[in-house]
Amino acid sequence: MRSFNTGVERETLICARCGYCQAVCPVYRELGWESSGPRGRIAIAQAARSGPLSVDQERRVYQCTLCGHCREVCPTRIDTCDLWLDLRHDLAAHGSIDRWPLKTMRDNLLAAHTITGDPPENRLLWQENLETDIPGLNLGKPAKAVYFVGCVAGLYPQAQGIPQSLAQILARANVEFTTLGSAEQCCGFPLVGMGLEDAAAETARRNVALVKETGASMLIAACPSCYHTWEYLYPKLLGEPTGLQIRHASQVLVELLRDGRLTPQPVEERVTYHDPCDLGRNSGIYDAPRQALAAIPGLELVEMANHREHALCCGGGGNMEVVAPELSAAIARRRLAQALDTGASVLVTPCQQCKRTLANAARQARARLKVLDLNEYLWRAL
Amino acid sequence: MSVPLYPELAERLGERYTESVFECSFYRRDLAAVPRLLQVALAQTMPQAVVRPRDADDVAAVVRYAAEHRLPLTPRAAATTVYWNAVPVRGGLVIDLNDLRGAPSVNPDAMTVTVPAATRWGELEEALQPRGLATLAYPTSAPSATVGGWVNMEGCGLGSLKYGRLADQLVSLQVVLPSGEIIQATPRSDPPLAVFAQAEGTLGIVTQVEMKIRAKPWAVVPHLLALRDAAALEQAMVALAAVKPAPYTIHFSDSPYATMLRDAGFPPPADGYLLLIVFDGSADEVDAGARALKNVALACQADELDAGTAQAEWEERFLALRLKRAGPTLLGAEVWLPLDRFNSYAADVARLARRQRTPLATYGTVVTPRMATVMSVLRSDESRTVPYVLDLSLTQQLVDIAFRHGGRPYGIGFWNAPYYRRALPPLELAKRLTAKQRLDPLGIMNPGKVYQPPALLPPFVFNTGMQVLSSVRSLGRRIR
Repeated sequence: MRSFNTGVERETLICARCGYCQAVCPVYRELGWESSGPRGRIAIAQAARSGPLSVDQERRVYQCTLCGHCREVCPTRIDTCDLWLDLRHDLAAHGSIDRWPLKTMRDNLLAAHTITGDPPENRLLWQENLETDIPGLNLGKPAKAVYFVGCVAGLYPQAQGIPQSLAQILARANVEFTTLGSAEQCCGFPLVGMGLEDAAAETARRNVALVKETGASMLIAACPSCYHTWEYLYPKLLGEPTGLQIRHASQVLVELLRDGRLTPQPVEERVTYHDPCDLGRNSGIYDAPRQALAAIPGLELVEMANHREHALCCGGGGNMEVVAPELSAAIARRRLAQALDTGASVLVTPCQQCKRTLANAARQARARLKVLDLNEYLWRAL
Repeated sequence: MSVPLYPELAERLGERYTESVFECSFYRRDLAAVPRLLQVALAQTMPQAVVRPRDADDVAAVVRYAAEHRLPLTPRAAATTVYWNAVPVRGGLVIDLNDLRGAPSVNPDAMTVTVPAATRWGELEEALQPRGLATLAYPTSAPSATVGGWVNMEGCGLGSLKYGRLADQLVSLQVVLPSGEIIQATPRSDPPLAVFAQAEGTLGIVTQVEMKIRAKPWAVVPHLLALRDAAALEQAMVALAAVKPAPYTIHFSDSPYATMLRDAGFPPPADGYLLLIVFDGSADEVDAGARALKNVALACQADELDAGTAQAEWEERFLALRLKRAGPTLLGAEVWLPLDRFNSYAADVARLARRQRTPLATYGTVVTPRMATVMSVLRSDESRTVPYVLDLSLTQQLVDIAFRHGGRPYGIGFWNAPYYRRALPPLELAKRLTAKQRLDPLGIMNPGKVYQPPALLPPFVFNTGMQVLSSVRSLGRRIR
């Protein structure tokens, strides 16, 4: 889509205040105050031109999942996500991060290059109980592709089934791949979300150099935020293309299924699919994950009331879970309700963060709905 | 913790009550860009508190409290107008109605739907479509505009040409009167339903709407005509508005509009004068419409553009505000205008544009067989206060042009209040003033709007002031 961005000051004047954004904003839907929607946040962006923001204003800037739904419906085509990131950049420049729970995550990222503060070797924990041995899994050379695992999938026990599944799927299909092992660093997306582009550029440089050392020409990310960062943000942060072909795992899976390198077994289940914001609205990938599911015989795919460009957010993006966990959970509950309305017994999403937030919501609601990542689901069917 | 200003409301509404200056400050605006100076001089836009009721009982409690304490009460939902209909001008309480939402209740036998007032038109349409149903008409701001909001405004938009104004489609309204009483207004109740339509929230608060719906049409077929000038556009509009069965909607735009759209970064389907005509219904109906359209096109020497282009234009029906990218601010006037006066109106607007050396773009919708709602706009920049205030004077000139050609402002609110008495026939005016007196004797309901012009802007001062500003602007343009 063509970018119309003419700079924060003019874009905030161009805003028509029509409220199309407010009608779809997940945060406004939960909080309900005019200040909590994108229309309110644009007023805050205008205020930011004339001086430092108040704590109330800062809170509203951080209470955003960067889901991009406001950008999707804006009739004046304002790239709202760019505006929100610019605002966060200004806040970071004024030292605001120290006033918010983001501080710990920032310190972790700058010191250990992981969002959790785990030491780098913990990135290998997910490999400990693989069903099959995969030679050359860590910086094995030469490799045609590097699977970039990401922090959440690599470090959160609840998400470790994702790299385990994808690595075994790739091995099953004889894809020549490796990972960066304990040398991998956070992709930098949380830093961008905090307005720390310089630090994100630094991490981008290190990650790109590591991948190039393997001789790989392709990078595979199962995390939509990592994918979005590598594909769209790294060229901006680095000022040049990465020179790598960046693929989301769902795109790779579709090709492997189409080429007959993977043969799923029949699954008699009603499944609903959740579009992750960073994969769908923010990166334009809607079909590949659906095609991968459609390749599983017997599977009945049912859409939620809001899907594709108009999918509801899970509440887990934009560092929201760190800043406002209860708000994040409320947003997840609303999405869960839509999933339950479909009558599906499984919710599949190709995102470890969406899986975490929605699985937590399902557990707390004691809902009879299994939440799985696409890779996990496909591996089960193979 | 400090004692709330309005403790009973704070207790009843809990987290849905705020008097935080931070939160309240966001309720001082609608779509209009108003220079701070004017805002401070003319009105008290900062509310003392904002409340968000969940249902009609909450609304009634707030209204009773406001009546008891003589508090100005400003109802607000999506706030998608430019007239400050939903902005407080005397402080007091803002009653944010956006939480009055819920699933639409369809009565398939009666072909009606009942919805909470803050249901957005887009949402309603999405809920009806899978059931094979559709609304009769909806506003061009459907993605955000609420059903209750449109009831309170003039309620003319897409579909009005075929199915009439929203006021004609209403079956009943649940209204909280300024006394706090909850009533079910129907065409035969006292007060009747019609009193509350177009009342702009000055006679009560609509909390639920029951209205007619229809079966989803079998086909919706848009056509796009390119015409040589405003005279041909008028001729085509008049002829097409009289076609039976009527088109679902007719939308038009002039040549400066196409230029402005291009400047905004959105290439128009063609330069010049455009007419989008949409027929809907059965195969026979849309075919009959297409045949009638061909005859009109022939008579008006119009070129019909291809079906894909027409479809694309129809799909962009909610994107009128993209024109703002040419701004960054747009100023203008939306007016009612007799169709058969469009050409003379357009000629006067063109004269004004020449005199003021400023492009004025015009577009609008045919909403009855004889009338259109017409919007004429100019580009401006609210960040440059002096030129912006001078630009504001042109809006009055545009309204005056409309009056000269049998038109009147579309929507009153605060900013068009100086025109109110001039805009209505004497009998209608008397009826509305009587209703206000009877239903809201304390004057708490959306005060300072519609019936009385701002204290500092009586009509004579307003008109003279605007004319002086307009002359200064014109002079400035010549010197430059």
